[in-house]
Amino acid sequence: MLLGIDVGGTHTDAVLVGTDGLKAWAKAKTNHTDLMASIRDVLGQIVPQAGHEPITRLNLSTTLSTNAIVEGLTEPVGVFVAAGPGVNPNAYAVGQHFRTISGATDHRGRITSPLDEISALEHAAHCKTAGVSVYACVGKFSPRNPDFEETLRGVVHPQADFVSCGHEFSGQLGFGRRIHTAVFNASVWRVFNRFADAVQRSAIGFGLNAQVNILKADGGTMPLSMSRTFPVESILSGPAASVMGIIAVCDIDQDSVILDIGGTTTDIALFADGAPLIEPEGAVISGRPTLVRALKSRSIGIGGDSAITFVAGHVRVGPRRLGPAMAEGGNHPTLTDALNVLGSAELGDVSASRRGLNELAAQHGSDGRTMAQDAALAAVTSIRAAVIELTRAVNDRPVYTIYELLEGKRLVPKTVYVMGGPAKAMAGLLSEVFPEDVLVPGNYAVANAIGAALSRPTLSAELFADTQRGRMLIPGLDVEESVPRSYDLDAAQEDAARYLRQYLEHLRIEDPEGMMETIEAQSFNMVEDDAMVGRTIRVKCQIKPGVLPGYRKAVSRQC
Amino acid sequence: MLKAPSSLGVVFFPAYDWAISPTHPERQERLLYTQDQLREEGLFDFEGIREYKPDVAKTGDVDLAHFTFPDVEQVVTSSHLISAGGAMRAARLVMEREAKRAFALVRPPGHHAMKVVHGTRGFCTINIEAVMVEYLRERYGVRRIAIVDTDCHHGDGTQDIYWNDPDVMFISIHQDGRTIYPGSGFPYELGGPTAIGSTCNIPLLPGTGDQGILHMLDNVVLPVLERFKPEIIINSAGQDNHFSDPITNMAFSAQGYAELTRRLGAHIAVLEGGYSIQGALPYVNLGICLAMADMDTSQVSEPTYDPEMIKQEQRVTDYTLSLADQLRNYFMDPPPMPKHGRVEGEWFVREKEIHYDTDGIFERQTEKVFMCGQCPGTVVIESRADSGPLCLAVQIPLHACPACVEKGHEVFETGQRSKNYRRAMLVDRPGKDVKRVLI
Ligand SMILES: [Zn+2]
Ligand SMILES: [Zn+2]
Repeated sequence: MLLGIDVGGTHTDAVLVGTDGLKAWAKAKTNHTDLMASIRDVLGQIVPQAGHEPITRLNLSTTLSTNAIVEGLTEPVGVFVAAGPGVNPNAYAVGQHFRTISGATDHRGRITSPLDEISALEHAAHCKTAGVSVYACVGKFSPRNPDFEETLRGVVHPQADFVSCGHEFSGQLGFGRRIHTAVFNASVWRVFNRFADAVQRSAIGFGLNAQVNILKADGGTMPLSMSRTFPVESILSGPAASVMGIIAVCDIDQDSVILDIGGTTTDIALFADGAPLIEPEGAVISGRPTLVRALKSRSIGIGGDSAITFVAGHVRVGPRRLGPAMAEGGNHPTLTDALNVLGSAELGDVSASRRGLNELAAQHGSDGRTMAQDAALAAVTSIRAAVIELTRAVNDRPVYTIYELLEGKRLVPKTVYVMGGPAKAMAGLLSEVFPEDVLVPGNYAVANAIGAALSRPTLSAELFADTQRGRMLIPGLDVEESVPRSYDLDAAQEDAARYLRQYLEHLRIEDPEGMMETIEAQSFNMVEDDAMVGRTIRVKCQIKPGVLPGYRKAVSRQC
Repeated sequence: MLKAPSSLGVVFFPAYDWAISPTHPERQERLLYTQDQLREEGLFDFEGIREYKPDVAKTGDVDLAHFTFPDVEQVVTSSHLISAGGAMRAARLVMEREAKRAFALVRPPGHHAMKVVHGTRGFCTINIEAVMVEYLRERYGVRRIAIVDTDCHHGDGTQDIYWNDPDVMFISIHQDGRTIYPGSGFPYELGGPTAIGSTCNIPLLPGTGDQGILHMLDNVVLPVLERFKPEIIINSAGQDNHFSDPITNMAFSAQGYAELTRRLGAHIAVLEGGYSIQGALPYVNLGICLAMADMDTSQVSEPTYDPEMIKQEQRVTDYTLSLADQLRNYFMDPPPMPKHGRVEGEWFVREKEIHYDTDGIFERQTEKVFMCGQCPGTVVIESRADSGPLCLAVQIPLHACPACVEKGHEVFETGQRSKNYRRAMLVDRPGKDVKRVLI
């Protein structure tokens, strides 16, 4: 049996899923000062219900890293950056211990100016004096040659508790993103590892013999052991769990939209042919773009608690929040109150909702019911506009070949799946503005935990080869090899898949073939003085996000 | 995060599935390292800088810029329509105020494609700036447009297209035509009789560096532009003046290009040539993007940059200084009539020979412009490519006077009846009409 736990902003949800369906579920209020307490709470409720059947896997999504970063509860990081020419690296300065070390590597991974090790040693000494013990080492074009990063790691290693190197996260280019990713990773390393220790202790305490995995922002999982080195990958796993939940409970096989309507925001995600779209560059955390793979999503400030206001003769909903709904003791009407007035919902004190809307309406020469209608319409219209905008952006994304430009697939959603607290109450209103089918899956309240339970491992590998230099690298998997001049695209594709499979086996992840796909494969002739001197080859492979097919059959009838 | 003081839209289209031939300088690899550099620098993560995909130009868009024989479909491939569409997208971004400036980083280039097109010359088939300029005029009603061509080769195609057009100012800075392809671009090439002075050519000695080009920019280009007062400035941003370019002999650096871009302040830049695809393009393109967005370019430089190695020789500096003074005076007060050509009644006639080096086609042309006095004048071209049939092309310009409109139709009809031509094409801009006839 599989156990899934989603530590959300308000509730911590847990489910137990067997091959014959959802066996049990539990809910607890999330204790933000002690996440482990909430986890122990749901484990206590749910583990006993497993009976004699063994729980083989525990998948956990947690807001720990995200919150630590957003709330600034992270530790200082000593940052070493080898930038070389280009954009002024000071633009990426973070914290008090950031230093640019001179030295440059070019786009092919050739070192064009040596690393200034003396200045690196000086910075290391400064960090030591300042009591810094976690580090990030990042070089421009390090996915094409990690030498500088490894040298810098060597400089700080003796004094470090932990060092993040930029090339370990991704083979994708993005110097600023690499800096942010490595720095965030180092900054949450200690707090995350304490949490991981506690999760492991708890699991043992409850007699669980399960493999423990952590959810990632791309909707996949990674083993707890791996999360200890890459804690930043656990950010934004909450929204990902919801999306995976929808995949688990609904049989999505076409272009679709997922709306997760919460208290303050609505998160929008898109599916192409039933597969969730991945953000091609990476997630943005605290306003800083990173290389953390994430599902493509957009958040807008409309949720159940969004305040209803009157601006220039028009009723507006959100993005402001002026306390809870009047139905729940607040003193300004919200979208939830409007849904109460319209009879779509019956949450808390419906008469308080009515009173609130009548009062606000009277100030503008209207009546409560009309205002509630206007508010609900404004909310669903904004959501629809955001969906159209996101779909348009996806269809408008740049492509680089004539074939793709002229033949490219366009995303045309057929169905809108709605989940989250106000989902049921909003569904009718949403179907009035969306021409697509609007569906509210059953069990939507714990779909996020089901998603967590059923998610499979994901991983990607970017291969870069330069046959003139006779080198092949897969930075994220720490592969660096010599290749013959005859090395070609086919060989590169085979290598990328083989190393990805090996890595998955090393992590003891079963079914590595499962959803492996090549998403990019390019080979360019390099020409010098009218003669071909070699090839530059780029291959990108991934295990795409998805849920375990065996279990999925068991839960998907609920949609 | 970094924020661009001036918003910039970059239309990036490297055409990874198109090349003239596998080892041609204008091949798939050309923008690969630029893309690597821009991605690695995170250009599109900066607030205010966004990447866009190109539009695709239609036959009708090409017809506004060119007379294509036998027709557009047989001469032009999708890669050319996309490249021109990339320039159109850049124009659209600026005109619809989605971005303050836009850079079409596309290939293949276009500035050697002339008014009449029978094939490909100098890696160019259709003139992507010209297609864009006509789009700006047709769709947005822009009247006065300046094109500043900073490619190392003379922009002979663009010059030819706007030779008789006083509303489009064409300025080209390039390596002296006596030392490089296409062999033209001398100061006396000032435009046709109805548009004299709206073409300005600034030939530079081989070995000219940043100092020389910036001097010409400040002392010739900017004053000429100041007088012309364009509504829009377009930069034909060729990057083959770079010291590492394999097919030219100049000594510009990425810093020089960035500074030129900053001082010129073009609304739209369109990539032209540039074949040092590893040593120059990644850095020059980055410098141009940052400069267009008004961002810091001080740390952009090539790995092989050594100011001492590429220092401009004193004789080049001396020449540049004296040439700048002469040219400024000459362009500000040009002679009344073109140096070459003859007057035949109310028509001004010039003979042209055009070599399509890429396709091995040789073309002879007779171009006549009606010296109207009221408007730029209807243009009539007779063209024969190699031993092919004689073709007739008639252009009634935008803002043509009624007499010139009538003249155009009359010439076109007489031409058809004369049986002298196999193909004839009429572009009536005021009447928004294009006619193609196979006789
Ligand atoms: Zn050129
Ligand atoms: Zn006229």
